[in-house]
Amino acid sequence: MKPSKLVASTRPKPKKRVRLAKSGARSQPVLPQLEPGAPSDFDLMKGIQRGDPDALSQLYDRYNGILKALILRVIHNEAEADDLLQEIFMEIWNQAKNFSAQKGKPLGWMVTLARRRAIDGLRKKQAYARAEERLQNETEQQPDAWVHNATEEEIELSDTRRLIRKVIKSLPPPQQQAIDLAFFRGMSQREIAAKTNTPLGTVKTRLELGLKKIYDGLKELKDEL
Amino acid sequence: MNFNEFQNQSRLYVIGALEPEELEEFEKARKKFGKKAEDFITKCYALHEAFALSLRPAKASTAIKDRLMSMVKAKHQA
Repeated sequence: MKPSKLVASTRPKPKKRVRLAKSGARSQPVLPQLEPGAPSDFDLMKGIQRGDPDALSQLYDRYNGILKALILRVIHNEAEADDLLQEIFMEIWNQAKNFSAQKGKPLGWMVTLARRRAIDGLRKKQAYARAEERLQNETEQQPDAWVHNATEEEIELSDTRRLIRKVIKSLPPPQQQAIDLAFFRGMSQREIAAKTNTPLGTVKTRLELGLKKIYDGLKELKDEL
Repeated sequence: MNFNEFQNQSRLYVIGALEPEELEEFEKARKKFGKKAEDFITKCYALHEAFALSLRPAKASTAIKDRLMSMVKAKHQA
């Protein structure tokens, strides 16, 4: 294999700091800082577009945990999630030519791709029924699917996740549930209405209000996301 | 549809939650608002990242990366 061409083409921009005026917390980085000289995500995507396997290897190391968590959140099966993760990174390799920096950041592109594949996988497999059952149990035990009780887990959360989850947790539980079902389950408004025994118009309002609040709440982070 | 309504619909659109009948109206408005609409939709995709980043990262099996890189290198060399 040829030596990697992936050296940082330009020094990564220093990450901006998030303002947390309301909470009074100190400013903290939103995404993990890259090592000095490390290639940016855009550098890695360019490398993959050139066909450099090392670029994919680095991108995998950087984001496999996030993408696996997303897949697992959708399909609730460890082994299937691993298989799907591999397929998704293979698709990233194969489809990299379709990535355009003008359309957004590499992570957004990868998350969109991973979510679509995970939801497709969920729908195709018979595991759907089993996952539904698990979801039902989880929903009963934990109506707010994003809220975890484990304090230790909270401590381990990175600044990014803490900030984003703070925004999400500020929503009323019915809005969180509607968004959870739409995003992580790929459910339509009608499906959510049927599942939650809620009028369709109410579901639509919950989604609109919840997404707007999250979107507005993320404005502080917009340079990072 | 005014632009404010379009913005609400865009956030539903990026998470795939628009119903088919809404999608038709949305596409019409998308054309009507042109670049302004496209720019807003692009911004809405930050929601995807946000939802993914809200989750605690999961550990993937080490064998996955080995298999992936073997496949990629084989394809690369072919």
